[in-house]
Amino acid sequence: MVVFILEKVPASVRGELSRWLLELRPGVFVGKVSALVRDELWTFLIPKLKGGSAVLIYPTNNEQGFAFRSEGNPGRTLRDFEGLFLISIQ
Amino acid sequence: MLKSLRILPKVRDSWSFLYIDHCRVEQEAKAIAIYDQKGKTPVPCATLNLLMLGPGTSITHAAIRALAENGCMVAWTGEAGVRMYAHGLGETRDSRRLLKQAYLCAHDSLRLMVVRKMYEIRFSEPLEASLTLQQIRGKEGVRVRDAYARASKESGVPWTGRVYKQEDWGAADPINRALSAANSCLYGVCHAAIVAAGYSPALGFVHTGKMLSFVYDVADLYKVEMTIPIAFKIVAESPQDLESRVRHACRDAFHEHRLLARVVEDIDRLLAVDGASLQPGQSLLDLHDAMPGGLWDPESGNVSGGVNWSEPIPEG
Repeated sequence: MVVFILEKVPASVRGELSRWLLELRPGVFVGKVSALVRDELWTFLIPKLKGGSAVLIYPTNNEQGFAFRSEGNPGRTLRDFEGLFLISIQ
Repeated sequence: MLKSLRILPKVRDSWSFLYIDHCRVEQEAKAIAIYDQKGKTPVPCATLNLLMLGPGTSITHAAIRALAENGCMVAWTGEAGVRMYAHGLGETRDSRRLLKQAYLCAHDSLRLMVVRKMYEIRFSEPLEASLTLQQIRGKEGVRVRDAYARASKESGVPWTGRVYKQEDWGAADPINRALSAANSCLYGVCHAAIVAAGYSPALGFVHTGKMLSFVYDVADLYKVEMTIPIAFKIVAESPQDLESRVRHACRDAFHEHRLLARVVEDIDRLLAVDGASLQPGQSLLDLHDAMPGGLWDPESGNVSGGVNWSEPIPEG
Protein backbone atom coordinates (compact mmCIF):
# COMPACT_ATOMS: atom_id res chain seq x y z
CA MET A 1 0.00 0.00 0.00
CA VAL A 2 1.14 3.55 -0.65
CA VAL A 3 -0.21 6.86 0.61
CA PHE A 4 0.50 10.23 -0.96
CA ILE A 5 -0.48 13.42 0.82
CA LEU A 6 -0.44 16.58 -1.28
CA GLU A 7 -0.93 20.16 -0.20
CA LYS A 8 -1.39 23.19 -2.44
CA VAL A 9 -0.39 21.49 -5.66
CA PRO A 10 -1.74 22.25 -9.15
CA ALA A 11 -4.93 20.39 -10.09
CA SER A 12 -3.14 18.64 -12.94
CA VAL A 13 -0.85 16.86 -10.49
CA ARG A 14 -3.82 15.54 -8.53
CA GLY A 15 -5.38 14.51 -11.81
CA GLU A 16 -2.30 12.52 -12.69
CA LEU A 17 -2.26 10.71 -9.33
CA SER A 18 -5.98 9.96 -9.52
CA ARG A 19 -5.29 7.78 -12.54
CA TRP A 20 -3.45 5.37 -10.23
CA LEU A 21 -4.78 6.01 -6.76
CA LEU A 22 -7.97 6.68 -4.83
CA GLU A 23 -8.45 10.20 -3.48
CA LEU A 24 -9.98 9.54 -0.05
CA ARG A 25 -9.96 13.20 1.01
CA PRO A 26 -8.76 16.22 -0.89
CA GLY A 27 -5.04 15.63 -1.43
CA VAL A 28 -4.92 12.22 0.27
CA PHE A 29 -4.28 9.39 -2.18
CA VAL A 30 -4.09 5.72 -1.37
CA GLY A 31 -3.59 2.60 -3.42
CA LYS A 32 -1.53 -0.44 -4.16
CA VAL A 33 1.07 0.01 -6.85
CA SER A 34 4.43 -1.58 -7.49
CA ALA A 35 7.60 -0.04 -6.07
CA LEU A 36 8.53 0.96 -9.62
CA VAL A 37 5.28 2.83 -10.26
CA ARG A 38 5.47 4.42 -6.80
CA ASP A 39 8.96 5.76 -7.48
CA GLU A 40 7.96 6.95 -10.95
CA LEU A 41 4.99 8.83 -9.51
CA TRP A 42 7.24 10.45 -6.91
CA THR A 43 9.81 11.52 -9.51
CA PHE A 44 7.00 12.89 -11.62
CA LEU A 45 5.59 14.88 -8.70
CA ILE A 46 8.70 16.66 -7.45
CA PRO A 47 9.24 19.19 -10.27
CA LYS A 48 5.51 19.94 -10.48
CA LEU A 49 4.81 20.95 -6.87
CA LYS A 50 4.95 24.72 -7.59
CA GLY A 51 5.43 25.69 -3.97
CA GLY A 52 3.11 23.00 -2.63
CA SER A 53 4.22 19.97 -0.67
CA ALA A 54 4.05 16.20 -0.91
CA VAL A 55 4.60 13.26 1.42
CA LEU A 56 4.87 9.64 0.40
CA ILE A 57 4.47 6.80 2.92
CA TYR A 58 4.90 3.13 2.12
CA PRO A 59 5.46 -0.08 4.08
CA THR A 60 8.95 -1.48 4.24
CA ASN A 61 10.83 -4.09 6.20
CA ASN A 62 12.47 -1.89 8.81
CA GLU A 63 11.90 -1.44 12.52
CA GLN A 64 9.21 1.21 12.07
CA GLY A 65 7.45 -0.84 9.41
CA PHE A 66 7.24 2.04 6.99
CA ALA A 67 9.37 4.59 5.21
CA PHE A 68 8.52 8.02 4.00
CA ARG A 69 9.68 10.77 1.70
CA SER A 70 8.88 14.40 2.00
CA GLU A 71 9.20 17.40 -0.30
CA GLY A 72 8.20 21.02 0.17
CA ASN A 73 6.85 22.45 3.46
CA PRO A 74 10.11 23.59 5.11
CA GLY A 75 8.21 23.83 8.42
CA ARG A 76 8.24 20.06 8.73
CA THR A 77 11.38 18.17 7.94
CA LEU A 78 12.20 14.51 7.99
CA ARG A 79 15.05 13.61 10.38
CA ASP A 80 17.05 10.45 10.60
CA PHE A 81 18.01 9.53 14.19
CA GLU A 82 20.51 6.79 13.45
CA GLY A 83 17.94 4.85 11.47
CA LEU A 84 14.79 5.99 13.29
CA PHE A 85 12.81 8.54 11.30
CA LEU A 86 10.99 11.37 13.05
CA ILE A 87 9.52 14.69 11.91
CA SER A 88 10.90 18.01 13.12
CA ILE A 89 8.57 21.00 13.24
CA GLN A 90 10.08 24.48 12.89
CA MET B 1 -3.62 9.08 29.94
CA LEU B 2 -5.40 6.22 28.27
CA LYS B 3 -6.88 4.00 30.96
CA SER B 4 -6.33 0.61 29.46
CA LEU B 5 -2.86 -0.89 29.42
CA ARG B 6 -3.96 -2.93 26.44
CA ILE B 7 -3.28 0.02 24.21
CA LEU B 8 0.42 0.04 25.07
CA PRO B 9 2.38 -1.74 22.40
CA LYS B 10 4.00 -5.01 23.35
CA VAL B 11 7.77 -5.08 23.44
CA ARG B 12 7.84 -6.96 20.16
CA ASP B 13 5.96 -4.18 18.34
CA SER B 14 8.09 -1.35 19.71
CA TRP B 15 10.87 0.69 18.24
CA SER B 16 14.04 -0.54 19.92
CA PHE B 17 15.71 2.71 20.97
CA LEU B 18 16.24 6.38 20.24
CA TYR B 19 19.57 8.02 21.03
CA ILE B 20 19.71 11.81 21.29
CA ASP B 21 22.25 14.35 22.50
CA HIS B 22 22.61 18.12 22.84
CA CYS B 23 18.92 18.90 23.06
CA ARG B 24 16.12 19.53 25.52
CA VAL B 25 13.30 17.07 26.14
CA GLU B 26 9.93 18.37 27.26
CA GLN B 27 6.41 17.13 27.56
CA GLU B 28 4.44 17.80 24.39
CA ALA B 29 0.70 17.14 24.47
CA LYS B 30 0.55 13.70 26.15
CA ALA B 31 3.86 12.53 24.76
CA ILE B 32 7.29 14.14 24.61
CA ALA B 33 9.20 16.27 22.13
CA ILE B 34 12.86 16.97 21.46
CA TYR B 35 13.85 20.63 21.11
CA ASP B 36 17.06 21.65 19.32
CA GLN B 37 18.25 23.99 16.56
CA LYS B 38 16.21 22.11 13.99
CA GLY B 39 13.01 22.82 15.88
CA LYS B 40 10.61 20.58 17.75
CA THR B 41 10.51 16.85 17.10
CA PRO B 42 7.58 15.03 18.70
CA VAL B 43 8.38 11.45 19.80
CA PRO B 44 5.61 8.85 20.08
CA CYS B 45 6.99 7.54 23.35
CA ALA B 46 4.44 4.77 23.94
CA THR B 47 5.89 3.10 20.85
CA LEU B 48 9.44 3.51 22.06
CA ASN B 49 11.22 0.91 24.19
CA LEU B 50 14.23 2.95 25.28
CA LEU B 51 15.23 6.61 25.17
CA MET B 52 18.98 7.10 25.46
CA LEU B 53 20.00 10.56 26.63
CA GLY B 54 23.53 11.40 25.53
CA PRO B 55 25.75 14.30 26.59
CA GLY B 56 24.24 17.77 26.56
CA THR B 57 20.64 16.72 27.11
CA SER B 58 18.24 18.09 29.65
CA ILE B 59 14.82 16.73 30.43
CA THR B 60 11.89 18.08 32.41
CA HIS B 61 10.00 16.49 35.27
CA ALA B 62 6.83 16.39 33.15
CA ALA B 63 8.66 14.60 30.34
CA ILE B 64 9.96 11.92 32.71
CA ARG B 65 6.43 11.40 34.00
CA ALA B 66 5.09 11.04 30.46
CA LEU B 67 7.83 8.51 29.64
CA ALA B 68 7.19 6.51 32.79
CA GLU B 69 3.45 6.45 32.19
CA ASN B 70 4.07 5.07 28.74
CA GLY B 71 6.50 2.41 29.97
CA CYS B 72 9.44 3.90 28.08
CA MET B 73 12.81 3.29 29.71
CA VAL B 74 15.13 6.25 30.08
CA ALA B 75 18.88 5.72 30.09
CA TRP B 76 21.48 8.41 30.64
CA THR B 77 24.48 7.49 28.58
CA GLY B 78 27.76 9.27 28.20
CA GLU B 79 30.60 9.21 25.77
CA ALA B 80 32.71 7.91 28.63
CA GLY B 81 30.55 4.81 28.69
CA VAL B 82 29.22 5.73 32.09
CA ARG B 83 25.59 4.82 32.20
CA MET B 84 22.86 5.36 34.68
CA TYR B 85 19.43 3.96 34.20
CA ALA B 86 16.05 5.10 35.30
CA HIS B 87 12.73 3.56 34.70
CA GLY B 88 9.16 4.16 35.67
CA LEU B 89 6.70 1.35 36.06
CA GLY B 90 7.05 -1.35 33.47
CA GLU B 91 4.18 -2.17 31.19
CA THR B 92 2.63 -4.76 33.43
CA ARG B 93 0.86 -4.39 36.77
CA ASP B 94 1.17 -8.09 37.48
CA SER B 95 3.97 -9.45 39.67
CA ARG B 96 3.70 -13.13 38.64
CA ARG B 97 6.90 -13.04 36.67
CA LEU B 98 8.91 -11.28 39.35
CA LEU B 99 7.72 -13.75 42.01
CA LYS B 100 8.70 -16.64 39.78
CA GLN B 101 12.12 -15.13 39.11
CA ALA B 102 12.72 -14.53 42.82
CA TYR B 103 11.68 -18.10 43.62
CA LEU B 104 14.01 -19.64 41.04
CA CYS B 105 16.82 -17.35 42.16
CA ALA B 106 16.45 -18.28 45.81
CA HIS B 107 16.68 -22.05 45.39
CA ASP B 108 20.19 -23.15 44.45
CA SER B 109 19.15 -26.27 42.54
CA LEU B 110 16.57 -24.38 40.46
CA ARG B 111 18.99 -21.54 39.93
CA LEU B 112 21.59 -23.95 38.60
CA MET B 113 19.01 -25.34 36.15
CA VAL B 114 18.37 -21.82 34.83
CA VAL B 115 22.09 -21.16 34.53
CA ARG B 116 22.62 -24.38 32.56
CA LYS B 117 19.72 -23.48 30.30
CA MET B 118 21.18 -20.02 29.70
CA TYR B 119 24.44 -21.62 28.60
CA GLU B 120 22.66 -24.29 26.56
CA ILE B 121 20.96 -21.64 24.42
CA ARG B 122 24.38 -20.43 23.31
CA PHE B 123 25.74 -23.74 22.05
CA SER B 124 24.53 -25.48 18.93
CA GLU B 125 24.81 -28.91 20.58
CA PRO B 126 23.36 -29.87 23.97
CA LEU B 127 25.65 -29.71 27.01
CA GLU B 128 26.41 -33.07 28.58
CA ALA B 129 24.76 -33.52 31.95
CA SER B 130 28.09 -34.59 33.48
CA LEU B 131 29.72 -31.20 32.85
CA THR B 132 30.27 -29.15 35.97
CA LEU B 133 29.45 -25.47 36.02
CA GLN B 134 33.16 -24.71 36.03
CA GLN B 135 33.64 -26.77 32.85
CA ILE B 136 30.68 -25.03 31.20
CA ARG B 137 32.18 -21.63 32.02
CA GLY B 138 35.40 -22.80 30.39
CA LYS B 139 33.54 -23.87 27.24
CA GLU B 140 31.78 -20.52 27.16
CA GLY B 141 35.11 -18.70 27.42
CA VAL B 142 36.37 -20.62 24.40
CA ARG B 143 33.19 -19.86 22.48
CA VAL B 144 33.47 -16.11 23.08
CA ARG B 145 37.18 -16.07 22.26
CA ASP B 146 36.45 -17.89 19.00
CA ALA B 147 33.67 -15.41 18.18
CA TYR B 148 36.10 -12.49 18.53
CA ALA B 149 38.77 -14.31 16.51
CA ARG B 150 36.28 -15.18 13.77
CA ALA B 151 34.90 -11.63 13.56
CA SER B 152 38.46 -10.28 13.48
CA LYS B 153 39.40 -12.63 10.63
CA GLU B 154 36.28 -11.87 8.61
CA SER B 155 36.56 -8.10 8.97
CA GLY B 156 40.34 -7.79 8.95
CA VAL B 157 40.27 -5.68 12.13
CA PRO B 158 43.09 -6.78 14.43
CA TRP B 159 41.99 -8.06 17.84
CA THR B 160 44.14 -8.02 20.94
CA GLY B 161 41.50 -8.40 23.60
CA ARG B 162 38.70 -6.61 25.35
CA VAL B 163 40.20 -3.53 27.03
CA TYR B 164 38.45 -0.36 28.09
CA LYS B 165 38.85 2.23 30.75
CA GLN B 166 35.62 3.57 32.14
CA GLU B 167 37.29 6.88 32.99
CA ASP B 168 38.85 7.46 29.60
CA TRP B 169 36.64 6.67 26.64
CA GLY B 170 39.05 8.07 24.04
CA ALA B 171 41.92 5.87 25.22
CA ALA B 172 40.32 2.64 24.00
CA ASP B 173 41.05 1.43 20.48
CA PRO B 174 38.24 1.81 17.90
CA ILE B 175 37.10 -1.80 18.06
CA ASN B 176 36.77 -1.70 21.85
CA ARG B 177 34.85 1.56 21.63
CA ALA B 178 32.55 0.09 18.98
CA LEU B 179 31.93 -2.98 21.15
CA SER B 180 31.11 -0.78 24.14
CA ALA B 181 28.67 1.33 22.11
CA ALA B 182 26.94 -1.75 20.66
CA ASN B 183 26.72 -3.50 24.03
CA SER B 184 25.40 -0.33 25.63
CA CYS B 185 22.50 -0.40 23.15
CA LEU B 186 21.93 -4.11 23.71
CA TYR B 187 21.93 -3.73 27.51
CA GLY B 188 19.45 -0.86 27.29
CA VAL B 189 17.07 -2.74 25.03
CA CYS B 190 17.26 -5.92 27.16
CA HIS B 191 16.82 -3.87 30.34
CA ALA B 192 13.72 -2.19 28.91
CA ALA B 193 12.25 -5.54 27.86
CA ILE B 194 12.96 -7.08 31.29
CA VAL B 195 11.22 -4.21 33.08
CA ALA B 196 8.33 -4.08 30.59
CA ALA B 197 7.62 -7.77 31.11
CA GLY B 198 7.67 -7.36 34.89
CA TYR B 199 10.99 -9.02 35.79
CA SER B 200 13.69 -7.57 38.03
CA PRO B 201 16.94 -6.44 36.40
CA ALA B 202 18.79 -7.21 39.65
CA LEU B 203 17.97 -10.90 40.19
CA GLY B 204 20.56 -12.47 37.92
CA PHE B 205 21.30 -16.17 37.56
CA VAL B 206 24.75 -16.39 35.96
CA HIS B 207 25.69 -12.89 37.06
CA THR B 208 25.20 -11.79 40.60
CA GLY B 209 25.68 -8.87 42.93
CA LYS B 210 24.80 -5.94 40.64
CA MET B 211 21.52 -4.09 40.19
CA LEU B 212 21.72 -5.05 36.50
CA SER B 213 22.85 -8.68 36.91
CA PHE B 214 19.85 -10.08 35.07
CA VAL B 215 20.37 -7.57 32.25
CA TYR B 216 23.90 -8.94 31.76
CA ASP B 217 22.54 -12.50 31.80
CA VAL B 218 20.02 -11.75 29.07
CA ALA B 219 22.29 -9.58 26.92
CA ASP B 220 24.97 -12.30 26.93
CA LEU B 221 22.58 -14.53 25.01
CA TYR B 222 22.78 -12.22 22.01
CA LYS B 223 26.28 -10.70 21.95
CA VAL B 224 27.96 -13.29 19.74
CA GLU B 225 25.07 -13.22 17.29
CA MET B 226 24.51 -9.45 17.15
CA THR B 227 26.90 -6.95 18.72
CA ILE B 228 30.30 -8.60 18.13
CA PRO B 229 29.93 -8.96 14.33
CA ILE B 230 28.44 -5.44 14.09
CA ALA B 231 31.30 -3.80 15.96
CA PHE B 232 33.96 -5.43 13.79
CA LYS B 233 32.09 -4.73 10.57
CA ILE B 234 31.60 -1.03 11.35
CA VAL B 235 35.22 -0.51 12.42
CA ALA B 236 36.40 -2.24 9.25
CA GLU B 237 34.34 0.16 7.12
CA SER B 238 35.71 3.42 8.52
CA PRO B 239 36.76 5.11 11.77
CA GLN B 240 34.50 8.12 11.12
CA ASP B 241 31.55 8.79 13.39
CA LEU B 242 32.02 5.39 14.96
CA GLU B 243 29.52 5.27 17.83
CA SER B 244 26.67 6.70 15.77
CA ARG B 245 27.22 4.23 12.94
CA VAL B 246 27.39 1.38 15.42
CA ARG B 247 24.01 2.36 16.87
CA HIS B 248 22.56 2.61 13.37
CA ALA B 249 23.83 -0.89 12.58
CA CYS B 250 22.47 -2.16 15.92
CA ARG B 251 19.01 -0.97 14.98
CA ASP B 252 19.14 -2.91 11.72
CA ALA B 253 20.56 -6.01 13.40
CA PHE B 254 18.00 -5.97 16.23
CA HIS B 255 15.28 -5.80 13.59
CA GLU B 256 16.85 -8.48 11.40
CA HIS B 257 17.38 -10.89 14.31
CA ARG B 258 13.93 -10.07 15.74
CA LEU B 259 15.48 -9.16 19.10
CA LEU B 260 12.39 -7.39 20.48
CA ALA B 261 10.14 -10.29 19.54
CA ARG B 262 12.53 -12.86 21.01
CA VAL B 263 13.76 -11.34 24.22
CA VAL B 264 10.63 -11.66 26.39
CA GLU B 265 9.88 -15.07 24.88
CA ASP B 266 13.41 -16.26 25.60
CA ILE B 267 13.28 -15.11 29.23
CA ASP B 268 9.90 -16.78 29.76
CA ARG B 269 11.31 -19.99 28.30
CA LEU B 270 14.46 -19.82 30.44
CA LEU B 271 12.46 -19.39 33.61
CA ALA B 272 10.17 -22.33 32.86
CA VAL B 273 12.78 -24.80 34.14
CA ASP B 274 10.48 -26.32 36.75
CA GLY B 275 7.86 -27.07 34.09
CA ALA B 276 5.59 -24.20 35.09
CA SER B 277 5.62 -21.79 32.17
CA LEU B 278 4.24 -18.32 32.37
CA GLN B 279 1.97 -17.69 29.46
CA PRO B 280 1.90 -14.01 28.61
CA GLY B 281 -1.93 -13.61 28.49
CA GLN B 282 -3.49 -10.44 29.88
CA SER B 283 -4.17 -10.72 33.59
CA LEU B 284 -7.00 -9.00 35.41
CA LEU B 285 -4.47 -6.80 37.19
CA ASP B 286 -3.23 -5.56 33.83
CA LEU B 287 -6.70 -4.69 32.61
CA HIS B 288 -7.75 -2.83 35.74
CA ASP B 289 -4.94 -0.59 36.89
CA ALA B 290 -6.47 0.19 40.28
CA MET B 291 -7.64 -3.34 41.11
CA PRO B 292 -6.19 -4.55 44.44
CA GLY B 293 -3.93 -7.60 44.38
CA GLY B 294 -4.25 -10.60 46.71
CA LEU B 295 -2.93 -11.17 50.23
CA TRP B 296 -0.45 -13.97 50.82
CA ASP B 297 -1.53 -16.86 52.96
CA PRO B 298 0.82 -19.80 53.60
CA GLU B 299 -2.01 -22.24 54.24
CA SER B 300 -5.00 -21.54 52.07
CA GLY B 301 -3.13 -20.05 49.13
CA ASN B 302 -3.65 -16.36 48.44
CA VAL B 303 -6.77 -14.62 49.68
CA SER B 304 -8.38 -11.67 47.99
CA GLY B 305 -7.22 -8.17 48.82
CA GLY B 306 -9.32 -5.02 49.08
CA VAL B 307 -11.46 -6.74 51.70
CA ASN B 308 -11.58 -5.76 55.36
CA TRP B 309 -10.89 -9.08 57.08
CA SER B 310 -12.10 -7.83 60.47
CA GLU B 311 -15.66 -8.03 59.22
CA PRO B 312 -17.49 -11.28 59.93
CA ILE B 313 -17.36 -13.44 56.80
CA PRO B 314 -20.88 -13.81 55.40
CA GLU B 315 -22.13 -17.36 55.57
CA GLY B 316 -23.08 -19.43 52.55
